[in-house]
Amino acid sequence: MEKNHLLLTIVTPEKTVISEKPVESVTIPAFGGEMGVLPGHASFVVQLVEGILHYKDGHHKEVFAVLNGFAEIHKDKVMVLAESAELSKEVDEERARQAYQKAKEILVLRPADLDLDEAGAALRRAAVRMKVAEFRRKHKPQ
Amino acid sequence: MASLRDIKKNISSVKSIKQITYAMKMVAAARIKRAQNSILSARPFALKMESLIDDLYHELGEEDLSGTVVSQLFEERPAGGTLCLMLVTADKGLCGSFNTNLLKAATAWLKENRGRKVCVVAVGRKGRDFLHRLKGLDLEIAHEMVGIFPKAGYVHAQLLSDAILKLYRERPIESVTFIYNEFKSMMTQNIVRGQLLPLKRSIQNDEQAPQLTSGLFSFEPGKAALLGELIPRNIGAQLYRMLLESQAAELAARMNAMESASKNATELIDGLTLKMNKTRQAMITTELNEIVSGSEALSN
Repeated sequence: MEKNHLLLTIVTPEKTVISEKPVESVTIPAFGGEMGVLPGHASFVVQLVEGILHYKDGHHKEVFAVLNGFAEIHKDKVMVLAESAELSKEVDEERARQAYQKAKEILVLRPADLDLDEAGAALRRAAVRMKVAEFRRKHKPQ
Repeated sequence: MASLRDIKKNISSVKSIKQITYAMKMVAAARIKRAQNSILSARPFALKMESLIDDLYHELGEEDLSGTVVSQLFEERPAGGTLCLMLVTADKGLCGSFNTNLLKAATAWLKENRGRKVCVVAVGRKGRDFLHRLKGLDLEIAHEMVGIFPKAGYVHAQLLSDAILKLYRERPIESVTFIYNEFKSMMTQNIVRGQLLPLKRSIQNDEQAPQLTSGLFSFEPGKAALLGELIPRNIGAQLYRMLLESQAAELAARMNAMESASKNATELIDGLTLKMNKTRQAMITTELNEIVSGSEALSN
């Protein structure tokens, strides 16, 4: 193992997804856009938005869909606190697509008890899941 | 004296009750494993959250905090306002003294604060129904959450924290108190009462922590905004833990209650069977007696 690596931890309220796994680089969906983290990064605390988190460990690459949370980078340790983190393998593309359709319909129909934030968030969540599924499909054949 | 048929009927009804209580016990036993696991897996998140907030605090000066949304949550509010109670009970009964003890604790709290305006956030059907029944108090159920057990998730905790924070922002609430059952072990549950809001500054006063980290971190978006997002999440994580604890405690209480119910039913069945056999023998004896005395009367 190389000396230069990051220790990646991803925790959600429901479970610990990854615990102190040595990786080469991590890309985080940060508040102001995607952020790549390499060993030796400055200490940073950042809010996450819904998006794709991926890390590279040699030739191995793993993709997650994360929703809302925080990340702390300190002394080559990356700690991600997300409300939900799903491995790309676990994402059900069909369900995501259905959820996307449904969220879109709700936004178009605008029922009386519409919670705009909620519906928007649902739409973004579904979009992220679909993106992850697409990513997986593209990178599978290699 | 009860006839043979009555006793038989009685036995069969007790038997079917025993079957039900036994099944309930098994269901609770199967679920409690999962409930315990989810408590365990929620722990790292809560711990990391605490440490992140801790880090943030050391970076944050008093001037950063003042005037933000978060500072509201820390400020002590003037006494005499509305009091808010969050009561976490079970949705269903048949779990021994689980709900009774909770409701007793809630009543005690209400008695202490007699004459105050109270608004309640009720989680669980039993607590809500109980509070609905109360009369003669200045009490309002501001938010209720029913039917989440035994599948309480983080989503529920988040909804709950959103509701509580909204209440806290919009009304002159002095403090938010919570009462719930803590899962101590399979046999015991503990009632926990504490204050949710305003937040204590305990973390900030913890000065022995090294100040070395100061100035090292960069933040995106700004510190105050970050903290503003983080604190509600932390409240959500706290509530999530409470829901999980309460859920596990309920299942444990139900398991114990149903186990003793099954045991009692078995004892009852044994007693009734004995009684039935005695009655049957007494009947046979009487009949024999009658036959013998009848034939003797004829032969004489």
